[in-house]
Amino acid sequence: MNKRAIRWLLEELPQLVAQGILTPETEARLRAHYAGVEPAKPARLAVILFSVIGALLIGAGIILILAHNWEQLPRPLRTLIAFLPLISAQTLAFWVLAKRPSSLAWREGIAALTFLMIGASISLVGQTYHISGDFARFLLTWMILGLPLIFVLDAVVPALLYLWGVTSWAGQTRWEDGGNAGYWILIAVLIIPIWRWMHNGHSQVRPILLLWGLCLSVTIGAGLTIDHVMPGFWIILYSGLFALMVLSSETWSDRSDGFWSRPLLHFGAGGALVFSFVLSFRESWYQVARGFYVWDGDSLDRQWAMPDTVIGFLIISGALVLLVTTIRRKAWFGLVFGLLPVLAILGYALSAFTESPLPAAGLFNLYLLTVGIWLLVIGVRTDRQGQMNVGLLSITALIIARFFDSDLSFLLRGLVFIALGIAFLAANLIMVRRKGGNREEK
Amino acid sequence: MKKNNRLLFAFAIVAAAQLFVPAWMIIGHERTLATGEVFKFRTRPVDPVDYFRGRFVRIDLEPSVVRTEDPNLWTKPTKAYAVLTKDPDGYAVVSGLQSHPPRGQAAVEVMSGWTSSDDGEVMITWTNLQRYYMNEAKAPAAEAAYRKHSRDAVDSCHVTVRVRGSHAVLEQLFIDDIPIEEWLERKEDS
Repeated sequence: MNKRAIRWLLEELPQLVAQGILTPETEARLRAHYAGVEPAKPARLAVILFSVIGALLIGAGIILILAHNWEQLPRPLRTLIAFLPLISAQTLAFWVLAKRPSSLAWREGIAALTFLMIGASISLVGQTYHISGDFARFLLTWMILGLPLIFVLDAVVPALLYLWGVTSWAGQTRWEDGGNAGYWILIAVLIIPIWRWMHNGHSQVRPILLLWGLCLSVTIGAGLTIDHVMPGFWIILYSGLFALMVLSSETWSDRSDGFWSRPLLHFGAGGALVFSFVLSFRESWYQVARGFYVWDGDSLDRQWAMPDTVIGFLIISGALVLLVTTIRRKAWFGLVFGLLPVLAILGYALSAFTESPLPAAGLFNLYLLTVGIWLLVIGVRTDRQGQMNVGLLSITALIIARFFDSDLSFLLRGLVFIALGIAFLAANLIMVRRKGGNREEK
Repeated sequence: MKKNNRLLFAFAIVAAAQLFVPAWMIIGHERTLATGEVFKFRTRPVDPVDYFRGRFVRIDLEPSVVRTEDPNLWTKPTKAYAVLTKDPDGYAVVSGLQSHPPRGQAAVEVMSGWTSSDDGEVMITWTNLQRYYMNEAKAPAAEAAYRKHSRDAVDSCHVTVRVRGSHAVLEQLFIDDIPIEEWLERKEDS
């Protein structure tokens, strides 16, 4: 169901009735038919947004004020003050749950404030007692204490703050004993609120926002929590990750909604294109081609091998399983991006056996060129200007990169760049004219 | 129970858990400050800033290199416990490193660094005793004054640390046996 189109139609109805094109009875029937889709309420969204911004500013301001150090006060008084921001926020949250439980603006604002005050409270105690080390432990404690706010206050802002926190924790603990594979369990918890928000029939802004955050966090987290041991493993890992995002979206959600409504698809596809561009360079394959993966057994750190293998295997095999189902359904968009991990494995094998980066880099040059042309052609055929431009951009980036790699003359490079620019402009002009022609026919 | 009452009850539990952590930190540190054994450590401070926890003077405790029977146990950066005794002047001496806190002895958590198997030496970092929080206006002055002072007179700066079992709390930073806050005030007055 294209909700944006439905909202447009509902907004057009009064005008159509006024012009006599539709009767009032028809308008009522149409509204009843599309009753499940709420029109966007800009004023309400603004209230929520401003309440969250206000709460975050207040919370940040309190943290900075507390950081001033009140050494004139005796220590017992300072420890009491350490509790005040948190207790105040909690009291306000209790009031919101008791008196304003249906107000999203109140819940989001107070959830954000309470989340920040947990960190402020622990920090102030640390400052009072000169506690130094282990920023990672401080972060983890803060995030675990803040996590329940997502569920109790049914709010997305603490979920986003939580994502930031656990991703930072993964970065802090990358090389610590015990590792940071726990990051995946910490973020898996967020599937629960995403699922609930997507299926409770209300606005989809919260799960979509959280999914965008999750895509970004997982992209960073994969590199921080895996790829400790095997040189070049990141090539197969990230290929699998981006393919998994695209294929998950293709398998379980509707293609009819807009760009921002499909984070898995668009983040995954964008990531796949950018990553393919990176893999089109020879330098990306040097680690594999030069045999860095051949380690002396004593120097290989076994404690990292297990989490690298298990988590990496789950991501890549998940992508391959969904690829098989995508092939069966003949979903071409998913297939094009779902092939990425297969090509990455093939490229890895080519580089390892030939001891040269060129075959694998060449493979990805061909892949990116093919995908770019495909996106361009399909974009033109289906009147999707954005998709067409992404295809053009991919082809252009590839050509420009290879031009810088090679020793061609400035004149030839200049002529090709001009040709690419003309192609961009011409394609967009044709698309605009076609859309204008279609509107006139209607 | 209505849904709203369930939510309020759940939030009350969550709030109690959130208050418990800082309360537990305070109780543990106050017990150590009240009943812990005092150790003096020589030190040299530097001054960065931590936006979450205010302005602090960074201190590097001595000793930073200790002798052990088997330095090969500490070839990789590893969490360890420095077992403490005192010299005749009350300064801390590390009698050994252990991988777990020893019973009945004062020991402080450290992180091992490089080792020298020929000399039996291991470099350690006192991970939880590196910051002395001060008023943000005074911390840079403390560091600048301290650096100048430590060039002129070595071994005149120290901290006192209270240790209860394996729990250590930084108590006070001294220059010339004077608390640093008072030392700075005297410098400003003179």
